[in-house]
Amino acid sequence: MSQVTRRTRVRRLADSVWPGRAVDGYANLIAARLRKLAAAESTGMLPVSGRGDGAIFFRRGQVVYAESSRTPSPDKRTVGLAALGLVPEDDAREAAVGAPTAGAQLLPLPSLRQLTSMLALTEPTIDAITELLSNESRYAKFRQSDLPPVAQMGPIPVEMALAEVERRRQVLRQLAPIVAADTPVVRDAARESPSFQVSAPQWALLIRVGDGTTPRALAMSLGQSVFGTMIEIYRLLALGLLAVPGHLSALGGGLDGPGGGRRPGAVMSFMRAVANAGGGDERGSDA
Amino acid sequence: MILPEADELLAPVMAIDGFRLGCLIDGSTGMVLASLGSQNGPASPTAAAGAADVINVLNLLNGRLATGEHLEDVMVTFSDSFFMVRPVRRDQRPPILLLVIMDRQRTNLAMAHRSIRDFCASFTS
Repeated sequence: MSQVTRRTRVRRLADSVWPGRAVDGYANLIAARLRKLAAAESTGMLPVSGRGDGAIFFRRGQVVYAESSRTPSPDKRTVGLAALGLVPEDDAREAAVGAPTAGAQLLPLPSLRQLTSMLALTEPTIDAITELLSNESRYAKFRQSDLPPVAQMGPIPVEMALAEVERRRQVLRQLAPIVAADTPVVRDAARESPSFQVSAPQWALLIRVGDGTTPRALAMSLGQSVFGTMIEIYRLLALGLLAVPGHLSALGGGLDGPGGGRRPGAVMSFMRAVANAGGGDERGSDA
Repeated sequence: MILPEADELLAPVMAIDGFRLGCLIDGSTGMVLASLGSQNGPASPTAAAGAADVINVLNLLNGRLATGEHLEDVMVTFSDSFFMVRPVRRDQRPPILLLVIMDRQRTNLAMAHRSIRDFCASFTS
């Protein structure tokens, strides 16, 4: 049995791709590759390499899992929907032995707990695909023999996954002038904040920021999605509880105090992201 | 909607008179988890994104006011429709929002409000 870890194997596979093909807009080629795999109803793994390494797993042409070295993997407690009793017993047994299933039909969900369990598997996958579909990424040969490391999650049609990734990239473009995943953020100690109300996840971020860290580092340490962490960091910037060194109070100062910081051109809007993602041709949009 | 298997969860809110669209949204990322609606109804991605924006702004307002309160729901009245957005459960992580759009001419707002509140209350583990 091979002692090489799956992530190392992915890196080796992706390194075999012609380096000259890693050009701007390559994410569009990866998206095109994903569409071809969907059309062929493929089952297996597509290794992707670039700023980070990762892989996208398919089952019968649908995305069932993805991971990237630059985004957190699903919580170790998450062991797939099979363990939650959300897939028929036969499918769960097949998934456990690593064989492709014919249907993998999901049962109706009866509770919020199970919905959040599904989300706990889906969010890291979408987060990873968002990271993997960057300009600097390139893919390697599709490996039909490789199967998802988790038992099973709800299969996601490729077009649906790509649409969500494009929406997220539009949100990240809005945030780019303010904060990026690797931008250091600090607590805004200079700001007088007599009273603020934050949610538990925001508090968890605040107490970990300290003298400076990045949204990605926070996401990795908390095991949360990088994208979701970016949104919460943006909210804390908007509340004036965090700042980006170099332009302190990037959001709050512009609203509250003269000369406290620059005012962003526009605030982050999910609706604008949807409009921008849908307004252009999804297949031809820049990466 | 990224979890199409979860669409069935929304079946109870379809019973509301004048129902047009129901969505479950991950409030932390704005991602549409499930959606159920009538044909020719509102576009769920846009409606869900708008609902997530509204909740985001109200949470920022609440954060700044720091009254110790929490958001229960939001009702918006348009000329032809009602929008209602409600976190399905307080302190749920990630926060999951329910958006329901209803026909104003056919909906009893008080009854709809009660139905949505009861749905969220029952929609727990």
